[in-house]
Amino acid sequence: MAEKSTQRYPQNNNLNEKLIASIDNGIIILNDELKILYFNKWLELHTSIKEGDIIGETIDSVFTNINARTLQRKVKTALRMGTPTFYTASVTKYLIPIKIDQINISNFKHMRQDVSVIPFDLKQQYVALIISDQTNMTNIHNQLTFNIKKINELNLELLKERKTIDQRVILTKIDTRHHITDISLAYLELLDMKKGDMLKSNYFDTQRLRISQELKEKIFDYMQRKEVLKYEEISLSSTGKEICLLNTLVPEYDKSANHIGFIIFGENITSAKLVQEHQTKLLENSRTAAMGEMISMIAHQWRQPLSVINTVVATLKIKKALNILNDEIIDESYIKIENTITYLSETIDDFRNFFKHNKELKTFTIAHLLQKSTQLLKAEIEVLNIDYEEDIDINIEITSYQNELIQTIINILKNSIDAFKEINTENQKISIKAYEEIAHIIIEIEDNAGGIPQEILSKVFEPYFSTKSKNGTGLGLYVCKTIIQEHLKGRITMKSKNDHTLTLIELPKILQNSVAV
Amino acid sequence: MIEINLSEDEKDVLQELMNVAYGNATAIVADMLDAFASLSIPNIKIMNIRELLNTFHSLKGDSYFFSTQAFVGEFSGECAFFIDNESANNLAIHLELDGEEDLNDAILELTNILTSTLTTRLAKEMNTQVQFALPSISKIPLNEMGSNNAFKQYSQVIVIDTQLNFHDQKINGEIFILTKDGSIKWLKNQLNDILKTII
Repeated sequence: MAEKSTQRYPQNNNLNEKLIASIDNGIIILNDELKILYFNKWLELHTSIKEGDIIGETIDSVFTNINARTLQRKVKTALRMGTPTFYTASVTKYLIPIKIDQINISNFKHMRQDVSVIPFDLKQQYVALIISDQTNMTNIHNQLTFNIKKINELNLELLKERKTIDQRVILTKIDTRHHITDISLAYLELLDMKKGDMLKSNYFDTQRLRISQELKEKIFDYMQRKEVLKYEEISLSSTGKEICLLNTLVPEYDKSANHIGFIIFGENITSAKLVQEHQTKLLENSRTAAMGEMISMIAHQWRQPLSVINTVVATLKIKKALNILNDEIIDESYIKIENTITYLSETIDDFRNFFKHNKELKTFTIAHLLQKSTQLLKAEIEVLNIDYEEDIDINIEITSYQNELIQTIINILKNSIDAFKEINTENQKISIKAYEEIAHIIIEIEDNAGGIPQEILSKVFEPYFSTKSKNGTGLGLYVCKTIIQEHLKGRITMKSKNDHTLTLIELPKILQNSVAV
Repeated sequence: MIEINLSEDEKDVLQELMNVAYGNATAIVADMLDAFASLSIPNIKIMNIRELLNTFHSLKGDSYFFSTQAFVGEFSGECAFFIDNESANNLAIHLELDGEEDLNDAILELTNILTSTLTTRLAKEMNTQVQFALPSISKIPLNEMGSNNAFKQYSQVIVIDTQLNFHDQKINGEIFILTKDGSIKWLKNQLNDILKTII
């Protein structure tokens, strides 16, 4: 095996020339008048210009993009200082225009270059320009700059959104020991408190938070299990105002997935609670009004059977006076009175049933529903000589809250009857149609009691709105709408044309898990 | 971290060396700009980064061009050059420069001249050599200087602070030569060697 030389690589082996020829940089030697004295292989390959063609030429005549004045200054300074001067890719982009065709750096037309102007030979006033390719670096730098800009923009957006969240979202952050670590401006405004007063205080502070012991234990339990929980709380503001919140408790984790506490998002339901209370009150009022109406219906209903009893009793008296009263007549009269009393009693039971709020869903036919609804109104309908007509399929069934639906239908029919009382019209008619539509049951109640003017049609379902000249509470249709929409998950609309008013009720065929009031 | 301090004698020697270096730098800058230039007597201090950033903050003006250039060798570090907007604009007018690109290039050249002449001369006086990296430039509002990571690598720096003035052209700049612990120690040794030859 040949022995390897450990001697310094001999100078006379053209080391400099070999190195310069193979170096991955451009090298140009210029004199102080910017004339080219040397142009290396690398530049020949990249510019397709042969050294022999440009020797002795000034560099700015070969590459016309070069600002001779600036280069002259740099050459002069380098020679004066004895240390290099520079062109940097980040500022001047390039000195020698070299086109690039690489796809990954196609953003640039020309190679980006760092150029060192080295005082090469101070005696002869020669400088060497060392040109290094910085395109990739510049590309990375530009991408980085672009991404930093993007990140800054996103950060700004995030900060803006954070500000919006702070101003709009009711939010409390607590640590694992239930101490408040952050609280949003929106919540502070509601509480009329300062952030400093709230931070580090205990979330379960009884001065502010009004929740039952039972709920508190439930929250603790969910916290222990790190599970999401929805609950209602009442907080007291600094002025003693009660604020009802529907909260969602969510566990919070840091970047390494360590549990660090909880975030409590709140929804202000104070107004909703007030509306709910108001609605409950309205419903109670409407029930009282409906009860009054029912009593008047019963009075109508009882008039005829009472006169039957009266007649039977009078007949008995006469027959006794005429001495023609026998056991058979007494038995007959007794049965008649007994039947009539049973009928009266049933009327009372029905009446009681309507006001007994059954919270259980029941399946029943529409025919049965209408029969129950009209039972108490029949007497009045007959007295007013109203033509009552039903066009229904007796087999249509519905699963819903029966009594609430009866209350609604009675309300609508009563409205029609009352409207007939106020106008004089012939051929008074109420017609009811019921039919199925995929998952819904449609009930149409139509009358020809004068109709409703278009301009007030949109207001008929509003509370305290009445078209009746007397005894109108203005709650009837509002209650109907509340029942149909909120409790029975249906839809009620009213149309009116000429003398006719059509009430359309759309109900789900099978109602699921609704809460009756 | 061991705190390194320069004795009064060491400071005096450094001050003398810097004065020589500054004379050289001034002449070359004046050549470059073809104008009469002066440099203030350098103020030499060893300070920690917090003090350095406070010094930057105390510079007048809102927006500065800020350029840096590293130098390597036994004595290594970085030069930081600040030039305010107004001075940069005056420099552009004086050199008849077109556009931001040329102006940035001229500021870099100024930085390079100051860094090269100052540190080369200083190195020569201490029998060593330095080499220079390419300078870089950015325009940073001074109040953001504290978040500049470039300075976080320093624990303690030797600051040689001087003002460059071209009275007629109203061009003022401030240059800081920043060196790290290793170089401060090296510098201290060299200064002591010089001191021994004097005494």
